[in-house]
Amino acid sequence: MNLSRTTYRSMSDATMFGLQGALARTQRLQQELSSGRRVASPSDDPAAAGSSMKLRSQRQADEQYLRNIENASGRLNVTDNALQQLNSRLGRVRELAIQSRDGAIGGESLVSIAAEISSIKTDVIDLYNTRWLNRPVFGGTVQGQDAIDSSETYIGDDRPIYARISRDGTVQIDTKGTDIHADTVPALLDQLASDIVSNPTAVQADIDALDSSMSAILQTLSTVGARAARVETAKANVDAERLDFTARISENEDVDLPETIMNLQAQQVAYQAALGAASKVLTTSLVDFLR
Amino acid sequence: MTSFSSLNTAVLGLNAAQRGMDVTGQNVVNANTPGYSRQRVSLSASGTSTSATFFTGSSAFFGGVTVDAVTRIRDAFLEGSRVAANARMSALTTQTSALASAEQLVAEPGETGLQQVLDDFFNAWQDLGNDPTDSGAGAAVIERGQAVADQLRFLADGVDARWTTGHDDLVNVVAQVNQAATDLAEVNEAVRRGAASGRPVNELLDQRDQLVDTLAKLIGATASAGDDGQVSVSVNGITLVSGTQAQQFTLSGATASGTATTDPPTITWGTITISVDSGEAAGLLAALRTDLPDMADQLDGVAVAMRDAVNAVHTAGFTLGGAAGGDFFSGSGASDLTVLVTDPDELAVADASGVVNGTNAQAIGDLSDDSRALAVLGSSGPSQLWRELTTDVGVRLQSLQRASTVQQAVVQTAQLAQQADSGVNLDEEMTSMLLWQRAYQASARVITTVDEMLDTLINRTGTVGR
Repeated sequence: MNLSRTTYRSMSDATMFGLQGALARTQRLQQELSSGRRVASPSDDPAAAGSSMKLRSQRQADEQYLRNIENASGRLNVTDNALQQLNSRLGRVRELAIQSRDGAIGGESLVSIAAEISSIKTDVIDLYNTRWLNRPVFGGTVQGQDAIDSSETYIGDDRPIYARISRDGTVQIDTKGTDIHADTVPALLDQLASDIVSNPTAVQADIDALDSSMSAILQTLSTVGARAARVETAKANVDAERLDFTARISENEDVDLPETIMNLQAQQVAYQAALGAASKVLTTSLVDFLR
Repeated sequence: MTSFSSLNTAVLGLNAAQRGMDVTGQNVVNANTPGYSRQRVSLSASGTSTSATFFTGSSAFFGGVTVDAVTRIRDAFLEGSRVAANARMSALTTQTSALASAEQLVAEPGETGLQQVLDDFFNAWQDLGNDPTDSGAGAAVIERGQAVADQLRFLADGVDARWTTGHDDLVNVVAQVNQAATDLAEVNEAVRRGAASGRPVNELLDQRDQLVDTLAKLIGATASAGDDGQVSVSVNGITLVSGTQAQQFTLSGATASGTATTDPPTITWGTITISVDSGEAAGLLAALRTDLPDMADQLDGVAVAMRDAVNAVHTAGFTLGGAAGGDFFSGSGASDLTVLVTDPDELAVADASGVVNGTNAQAIGDLSDDSRALAVLGSSGPSQLWRELTTDVGVRLQSLQRASTVQQAVVQTAQLAQQADSGVNLDEEMTSMLLWQRAYQASARVITTVDEMLDTLINRTGTVGR
């Protein structure tokens, strides 16, 4: 500015303006450093604040997806276990059935074999009624906690249940009872037990039916395994995405420490220089030199 | 011309020097007085002869020196631009501080803002979807819904409170404007009388300038000089003070934020609306008419989107008992959003009647995703609207802050320019103090010398042969 005349007032005003500016900038940097945040309120950087909010929201969603995934994989694990046990129980039934066809076995033994099959049936029904969070995993969306009721009838409705495991992905986490023959196996076991004792010629047909149920269970087991694998992959992806969001949020909001510290140093030097200049200029006037 | 008249001339010189010293002293002591304009003594020599008197002897009359006036150094243009710059600055500062306090409400980005509350709410639905028969998860959903409603009400109340505070401030500003206008009319009257009777009015003029300054800061009034050193002040063409007449402005329009958009607050003179575009009043009006109502509208938008999106999905579902889902939220805006569901059994978590699954709960949880909310509502979802509100407030405030920074420099420049013209420079005053001192000494020496001359004449002449 080109002024024809300078006064002490204008000089001190200008000095104060400069000092205030320097101090305000220093304070701003100091705030950033002490809070560690570059964007503490929307007006600091509206665009960054907006995208930060979006990122935070998506990170929240990812955390929820991880919880959903925990739930899904828990349910699939329980299903997997139940299916494997089911398979081994039915395998035992098959062994017993084959054993019963050995002509050397006496009537008493046949009765005990039939008794074992009946007791295995109870286990099998329990396995079909396997629960996850008080819900039957093979019952679809049936009311109550069982897929097979007390009269040993399958009451599941086979309605699929999906879990959201990522922003755009869902995975089916239920297993249809009919896919694993929950509707026929208990009756089949009853039939087999009675056939072993009273109608040996029908046992072979029962064994065939049992084989088809076991292969259905094995098939379902592999489906469940595949779903569990998908869930695992999704977990890794969502986890990676969540970390990426965290990094981007920090990039958006947090101060760049080295840069800010350098700026603060520079600002402090400028402030001290301004103070020094002010103290030199403002203290003297002609008054000091007149006698 | 007599020898005695020389004494008289010297006395006039002494008086002039004395007066000069007075003015210098006044300048020095007021060096830091705000609004003070330095003063100068203008002198003129009086009674010098009009014709050459080489041969006729000393017929010229030396009347000495006259103090014509003590003038105030003040440039109307510099003054005007400084006042205008200050007025604009007040408008920006006022609007900024109103909006900044509204921004604090937003509390974004962070873990305490509405975004987090919305996310928590939607996540609670997802949790319920994972475990639909868990009444604890159901209770959590209701609790989180309540938290959303509470947070929205808190924000709406906060904006409302800021509006009311702003309105109170504006009432004050208008009262101050009217008071200052009355004062200015009185000062104008005093200046007129003073000027008529020839008394010095410089200090009154400074006082008058201060009042003009105040009016500019309050309402962006501009001054124009009138007769007899009076000023007239007007706001965008509407005269507030004309000479010794002061008008009174009134504040009309909404007194509560609810009606701020339909009946915005207005400053009027009688029935005439005054368009105020500078001064604190302009800043407050901008905040009260646009910024805060916009924010309140946007908040209502968030609440309505929240209500509609959640209700749309909730009513499409069924409770575990098989009943169709009712509305989850009710209310017409941010201030009265309430959760209707009180019992977890009333939550429509399933997607069909008579089944037990969490599919519908998941669908509500999915609303946290903007694209799904868009699909349900046909317009932006609550999260997106909230982000827009936050960004809008941020952008507005940021541009105001930038404008303030620029205006600060403008004010500074104008102030320096005016200071350069009217301010007191101590070096200069010291110099003129020397000048007056020397002039005084010289005039005193004239008296001594004339005295010695008279001594020679009276006491030493006619003593031949004594």
